[in-house]
Amino acid sequence: MGACVTEALIVRGLDKTFSKPAVRELDLTVHPGELYALLGPNGAGKTTTLRMVAGLTKPDKGAISIFGIDALADPAGAKAITAWAPDEAMIYDRLTPLEYLEFVAGLWNVEPRQAKARALELLETLGLASEARRRCEGFSRGMKQKVALAGALIHDPRLLILDEPLTGLDAASARLVKDMLQARVDAGGTVILTTHILEVAERMADRIGIIAGGRLLAEGTLDALRTQAGQGGGDTLEDVFLQLTADGAPA
Amino acid sequence: MSLLRSGSIPWLLAHEMRLGFRALTGKRAMGGVGAMIGLSILALLMLTGGVIIGLAVRDLDVPTLPLSAAIALACCATAFTLMLSQTLAAASEALYERGDLDLLFSSPIPPRTVLFVRALGVATGVLTVFLIFVTPLLGPAIFLGHPEWLGLFGVLAALALLATATGLTLAMALFKLIGPRRTRTVAQVLAALTGAAFFLVSQIRTIMGEKASESLFQSLARDAAEGRVKIPPIGYWPLKAMLGEPLPLLAMLAIGVVAFVLSGLSLGRRFADAAAAAQGAEASAAKPAKGRDRAFARGVFAATLAKEIRLILRDAALLSQVLLRVLYLVPTAVILSRNAGHGDGGAALAGGAGVVVFLAGQVAGSLAWITLSAEESPDLLAVSPAATRSLRRAKLAAALLPVVLLLAAPLAVLLWLAPVTALWTALGASLSAWSCGLINVWHQKPGKRADFKRRRGASWFATLAEVVVSALLAGATGLAVAGLAQWALIPLGFAGVTMLALRRSDAQIAKVLRMA
Repeated sequence: MGACVTEALIVRGLDKTFSKPAVRELDLTVHPGELYALLGPNGAGKTTTLRMVAGLTKPDKGAISIFGIDALADPAGAKAITAWAPDEAMIYDRLTPLEYLEFVAGLWNVEPRQAKARALELLETLGLASEARRRCEGFSRGMKQKVALAGALIHDPRLLILDEPLTGLDAASARLVKDMLQARVDAGGTVILTTHILEVAERMADRIGIIAGGRLLAEGTLDALRTQAGQGGGDTLEDVFLQLTADGAPA
Repeated sequence: MSLLRSGSIPWLLAHEMRLGFRALTGKRAMGGVGAMIGLSILALLMLTGGVIIGLAVRDLDVPTLPLSAAIALACCATAFTLMLSQTLAAASEALYERGDLDLLFSSPIPPRTVLFVRALGVATGVLTVFLIFVTPLLGPAIFLGHPEWLGLFGVLAALALLATATGLTLAMALFKLIGPRRTRTVAQVLAALTGAAFFLVSQIRTIMGEKASESLFQSLARDAAEGRVKIPPIGYWPLKAMLGEPLPLLAMLAIGVVAFVLSGLSLGRRFADAAAAAQGAEASAAKPAKGRDRAFARGVFAATLAKEIRLILRDAALLSQVLLRVLYLVPTAVILSRNAGHGDGGAALAGGAGVVVFLAGQVAGSLAWITLSAEESPDLLAVSPAATRSLRRAKLAAALLPVVLLLAAPLAVLLWLAPVTALWTALGASLSAWSCGLINVWHQKPGKRADFKRRRGASWFATLAEVVVSALLAGATGLAVAGLAQWALIPLGFAGVTMLALRRSDAQIAKVLRMA
């Protein structure tokens, strides 16, 4: 993997079996500065894949490289430049957003003064400035998601991994988050996300990976996927997705 | 279930019993083979004690005298306060825990049915705890010639029902008086105070100048012998009920049942309204945190320590759990200082020092169990580059810090009055607290903080180990304070061996955590 050190993420031969195989011989490459959408039906292995990349689940086999760092050999090094935000916000109900961000910044060893300034800026951008000093316990699901997203961004990660980032967000908040992610990618950041909202992937993703039964069925730009889906693929990502997952569905 | 009419009390009761049984027999609750062996040994020891007691009291006829009636009353009052402590905490928590309450209250089932069944669950839980301790001790005596003592079980059942009714009524009254935001905390503090009521009363007597050597029982016996104890006829009921006299026993049971049914059926609607009002009330009324301009903590240790301290201080349920131990710890430490000041004998000082050391371990163990095992966002810690050891050290420090703060003042006074005793006590308390903290590091049982109400989810093994190690260190400290430092090495050695046996390597801890 030494030849591809500039890639944001390289996954090779990733395997994970729980009671049944969840991910099988998965290969994935994400380029720096792109927004990569990983799509698939329920139980396809998307979350398991991302959890392995984030260092939460140990693969049975395979290799993961994040910006040239071997994530399995040097997990702390890989984690230092990565952020993970799952669909269930990883926050503490009895902490305020500002206290939460203080804790997360401490975990990533961000310089305190810089961390506080960034925390306030993120909360302002996400429309949470007025709630910065209130405990999260009364927050809506969407607000908690935004606090968690701020936590994921506090240490300015080079690779941002988001599992269903728009779950529970209202239209305005969803737009805000999408704009933030786009701005991040425009500024050279790398984002990997999973979503069931195909319109989001269609409009935002530079490349799309479609996974089913733990295997990568297709990968590329929307045009490339249309080509792979063939004549029956249709025009929209939804048509392409349904065609590919129907063709590639495991027996 | 199909035999029971849907929505009826028996139908809902069957549902709750099924859930309760599954929770009890779940993998987490069982705690493994080791825990079962440990519990079996404990049960066997208690049963052996019960047989010895049974043989000793075989020919004893309890006289219906003012003294025995007063003792029976005191026992009932103690049991009632302990039960009330649990029922008040459970009743107030029930208002805030969502669980399936929203589902039940959104269904056509009358709220009084829901409350009645929930209250029955609380009463059964409280009674079960008492039966677990009383049955092995009293059972043999009943079989060995005192079948009439079965009445004691009836008295316990009556007290459990009365305590549940009182706890429920108090929780509802608090809710009405001080509102949803404060009720949870106030009820938990009240529950802890109620639970420790008898201990506090006896300690206050000592602190206020009564003879340290005379217990409440001795004082009562002296008053009875001098004919100063006057008990009205109704005051003999508990004793007579315990001794199996049908009328007093039925009367006590009737009082319990009537109070329980009345509160359960009359408070149903109010409980439903209160539960609805409680949802999000704490959060919506919470004031913004102070200290706007405080700087962020630097690094993993400081940030984690700050987070854990904040979470400890903001957890009302945890407050009740730890407060009960603190209520035992602080007066004992104060009395230790007082005894030293009055130049009381070595035995009193040694005993006091031992108790302080034991309780320091218990408080630290409780807090360490919460900070180390109850983590709301384990994935956040797992995806961070922070070293597990740094996180653990910070969590352990967060558990030990309150113990240091609680003991600082009494030990400072003791240092002035009896420096050697103070140093031994400080050393013993530090060792005890640190050891109990370490046991929780080695035997973590990860779970959500919300699941950690009381120590239900805790490892039985770790809890037992904490008791054993802190008791050994308490013994060692007591001996050292009594001037028998060389003898103190024996329990100290045993404590060391126990800790070595309990120790787990980082790899072993990680393996257990992965399996959890």
